[in-house]
Amino acid sequence: MTVLKTSMRNFLAHKGRMALSAVAVLLSVAFVCGTLVFTDTMGTTFDKLFAATSSDVTVSPKSAKSDEMPRNGVPESLPASVMEQVREADGVKSVEGAVSSMSVTVVDDKNKNMGSTTGAPTIAGNWTRNDLRSMDISSGRAPRGPTEMMVDADTAEKHGLKLGDELRTIAVTGDFKARIVGVTTFKVTNPGAAIVYFDTSTAQRELLGQSDRFTHITVAAENGFSDERVKENVARSLSGAYKIQTQQETTDENREGVGEFMNVMKYAMLGFAGIAFLVGIFLIINTFSMLVAQRTREIGLMRAIGSSRKQVNRSVLVEALLLGVIGSVLGVGAGVGLAVGLMKLMGLMGMELSTDDLTVAWTTPALGLLLGVVVTVLAAYLPARRAGKVSPMAALRDAGTPADAKAGWIRAVTGLVLTGAGGFTLYLAGTADKATAGSLWLGLGVVLSLIGFVVIGPVLASGMVRVLGAILLRAFGPVGRMAERNALRNPRRTGATGAALMIGLALVACLSVVGSSMVTSATDELDKSVGADFIVSGNAGAPLKPATVEAVRDDASNLVHISRVREVPADVTAPDGTKQEGQLLATDPTYVQDLRRETLSGALADAYGDDAMSVGEEFAEKTGVEVGDTLTVAFDGGRTARLRVAAVTSDDTALDQGAMYTGIETVERYLPADRMPMESSVLATAKDGQEKAAYASLKAAVAADPTVRVMDQTDYKEDLRDQIGQLLNMVYGLLALAIVVAILGVVNTLALSVVERTREIGLMRAIGLSRRQLRRMIRLESVVIAVFGALLGLGLGLGWGATAHRLLALEGMKVLDIPWPTLVWVFIGSGLVGLIAALVPAFRAGRMNVLNAIATD
Amino acid sequence: MTSAVTIPRHGGTGGTTAVAARARQVVKAYGSGETRVVALDHVDVDIARGQFTAIMGPSGSGKSTLMHCLAGLDTVTSGQIYLDDTEITGLKDKKLTRLRRDRIGFIFQAFNLLPTLNALENITLPMDIAGRRPDKAWLDRVVETVGLAERLKHRPTQLSGGQQQRVAVARALAARPEIIFGDEPTGNLDSRAGAEVLGFLRRSVDELGQTIVMVTHDPVAASYADRVLYLADGRIVDEMHQPTAEQVLDRMKDFDARGRTS
Repeated sequence: MTVLKTSMRNFLAHKGRMALSAVAVLLSVAFVCGTLVFTDTMGTTFDKLFAATSSDVTVSPKSAKSDEMPRNGVPESLPASVMEQVREADGVKSVEGAVSSMSVTVVDDKNKNMGSTTGAPTIAGNWTRNDLRSMDISSGRAPRGPTEMMVDADTAEKHGLKLGDELRTIAVTGDFKARIVGVTTFKVTNPGAAIVYFDTSTAQRELLGQSDRFTHITVAAENGFSDERVKENVARSLSGAYKIQTQQETTDENREGVGEFMNVMKYAMLGFAGIAFLVGIFLIINTFSMLVAQRTREIGLMRAIGSSRKQVNRSVLVEALLLGVIGSVLGVGAGVGLAVGLMKLMGLMGMELSTDDLTVAWTTPALGLLLGVVVTVLAAYLPARRAGKVSPMAALRDAGTPADAKAGWIRAVTGLVLTGAGGFTLYLAGTADKATAGSLWLGLGVVLSLIGFVVIGPVLASGMVRVLGAILLRAFGPVGRMAERNALRNPRRTGATGAALMIGLALVACLSVVGSSMVTSATDELDKSVGADFIVSGNAGAPLKPATVEAVRDDASNLVHISRVREVPADVTAPDGTKQEGQLLATDPTYVQDLRRETLSGALADAYGDDAMSVGEEFAEKTGVEVGDTLTVAFDGGRTARLRVAAVTSDDTALDQGAMYTGIETVERYLPADRMPMESSVLATAKDGQEKAAYASLKAAVAADPTVRVMDQTDYKEDLRDQIGQLLNMVYGLLALAIVVAILGVVNTLALSVVERTREIGLMRAIGLSRRQLRRMIRLESVVIAVFGALLGLGLGLGWGATAHRLLALEGMKVLDIPWPTLVWVFIGSGLVGLIAALVPAFRAGRMNVLNAIATD
Repeated sequence: MTSAVTIPRHGGTGGTTAVAARARQVVKAYGSGETRVVALDHVDVDIARGQFTAIMGPSGSGKSTLMHCLAGLDTVTSGQIYLDDTEITGLKDKKLTRLRRDRIGFIFQAFNLLPTLNALENITLPMDIAGRRPDKAWLDRVVETVGLAERLKHRPTQLSGGQQQRVAVARALAARPEIIFGDEPTGNLDSRAGAEVLGFLRRSVDELGQTIVMVTHDPVAASYADRVLYLADGRIVDEMHQPTAEQVLDRMKDFDARGRTS
């Protein structure tokens, strides 16, 4: 009981010193809980949506996938006659044929896209009774005839649409216009899809291109019949030719598609929370080490009057437990707040989530608390053990125990071994000739070198702080020298504080090297090997609608040629039996001039001959295929062809690496027209000197569809840079959390150091150190620690980045581009971080009363 | 009202004042109303230039407070304090700090040195802070006087308590301040080490012409001074010139006896 009482008292007495550690725990726990609550809420939203939209039993074509459209842009469909067979099954109350397509674009009279900007689909379909499960017609009425349509209320609101407005729908089969006669409102939250309805025959004609077919059939079960039983009955009457799913199965399948994306997001965010936790550990270790050091005499006294080691040890751990509990409880609360904030943020970006669906599973606070408490107590374990080792004699000695020289040696050797192992592993990664093996080595190398640097940090601190002092602090005279000495005074503390900052910055440096190498390599490759002037492509990789390609082809006056590119799904089997499921790149023969590819053997132009193709280097090596061999190519939805290998392309490129080329004409011979994929892009080359005119007229030609983009090489490079830049910014944003925790660590170290050095500060003030000089001294110490951490981090990050680049080089991204400006800014930024971190500790030191400070024990 | 104003404002040492520091009607009180405690009660005192003054008195007599006020470390409730001709009461922190840095030297009872600096760096610290270059010849002489030439590169933790206090003395002397204040500078030392330090203080007055004010409760330490001021209940109650340890001790016993009977 006494242990608990002392712990409580100590905890309360030092609540100021504990506050920053608690904030670190809070932030990390909040991030974990926020992520979980946010993704769970998204899950709930989608579950409700899918449950509401699926019928009791759904019948669809065998090959249909819920989350993916076939590449020809026309959804898989089944004949209307199936409805009659289904209706006969036992327990079927009613049957409806439904049409639904995601390959449409809906625009208003100003040619503005009504669809979502967040990647959520635009869905067009026929209005059925089944839709009444999830929606109401909130105004107007259901569409009748070819010129009427309904839109969902969210889309109507977002774009200010009202009854009577005319919208143009761009479908695979062509454009058509319809007037809004009704608005539907979801009964559950719709996260962002734009939904339009037509009457059944219009939907069939415009979305499927033929009447008497449906994409799926919805079945309502009669009372007393379970979904499973109805499914069985329907299956029996259809004798297995179709995919039949209960409501649960449909929901699950839909959920799986979304879940994959959500899981990626969830684990990425949890990863960043993990990094923040890691950094927080440093902060907690440092805090407790310093509290224990400051309390050495007190602990010595406790030991002298009879406390056992165990009791002392336990009293520190109990303090950590209190800290962990408080930080985690607050963190769980903050996490829910963070999730709501994220939902609002997503709302601003166009993804609607309702707080009504806010889902806090019991596991979320449990996990948050567990993580927070366990991590805190584990981090406090080492300092607690050190506290237990304090001898009763410490009560009699002056505060401060001499550094343990032997521990320093062990640390240096361990650190060197780990760093060396990390370096060697990174070297293995850099020289690996397979990306998969390389990534494993890279991962291991990153972990080893990170731990190595953390261990060796305090040893490096002495040397590096001296060098930094010589460069940065000399200008500040004696104040600078004292700052340097203070930073050197406890290398373990400086090392741990710097290491916390190092982790975040190493990742920033590594990713900036990777990102910028990717951009530069791609740009370089574009300059070297791309002959085409323009690329016409859809939004976010969506295929081009036939009308667009037609328009580009008609606009040939300024162009030398255009090359259509189609990604054709096919399984390729080599003579040795190796089968590769994937796709062929079917293009016009002019593609050879648009993208100049090195070949190892054969000429790429020959791959466009009848029944010819090319293969990539890796495939050729793996299967032993040579020019002249014949491959078996099974086209998805078409016949199986035997194609002759006419060329082997080199893998030494970043564009189309490993692609298998063939001519569009060859594919057409084996694939029926209604199975032919739409163009994924069209490349165009302008006549000499007419680039500008060609660019303008191409843009005009595709203007009818706002989702289509025309880019020249400059646009394309910029687009690439923007995309990678955005991705990096997002990652930096997430890493900011870890960096904020590290900054808290610097603040904490300084604040505790100031407390520890109260007497010294009093003495210096007494003999004439001005407040300004004192504050500057603390700021300089802080800057040195921060810059030390930044140097370690940037060094480590450069190493990681350069190794990662070696792996990218295997994927054809050969140019190593170190973004010096970014790194210099990070370096300067870390100096500023040091200044900011010192603000409060320096202010408090300046405010100390000189006499009280001197008199402090 | 008590007074220890014994030296004329303008004394015999040429043009400069013979008084290094003066206190006039200095009151230092803590708290207010019922809980008001008066530490210094209208104290007048002149500190003679080039002399070694000891301030004695029982615990709680206000001797340390007086020294802190004279040295510009503490503020007064009323009254004025002058260092030479400068009134230091009412100075802002910035000016006070500079005054302490440039014109005053300190020796505290313990913890006089920065652990991160070696002996020499500690000695020159006030000048370093001021951005002044130490006078090499003077520094050598001071170092020699306190007998530290061999230990200049040592860190404080590598020095004995007596050596540490000698470094503190050297630091106080090195900047050639107008006046050095010692707050029980030998309080933590054994008698031999204490005698050494006091010897140096004495020599610095005799040979270097330094003005020193020292608070002590040790009659032996006080016997090194030219003049001893006795404080009791915040007032100066007596003084003694050219004291010996026995005289001081007797006087102290006197006060104790009086204190007990009154």
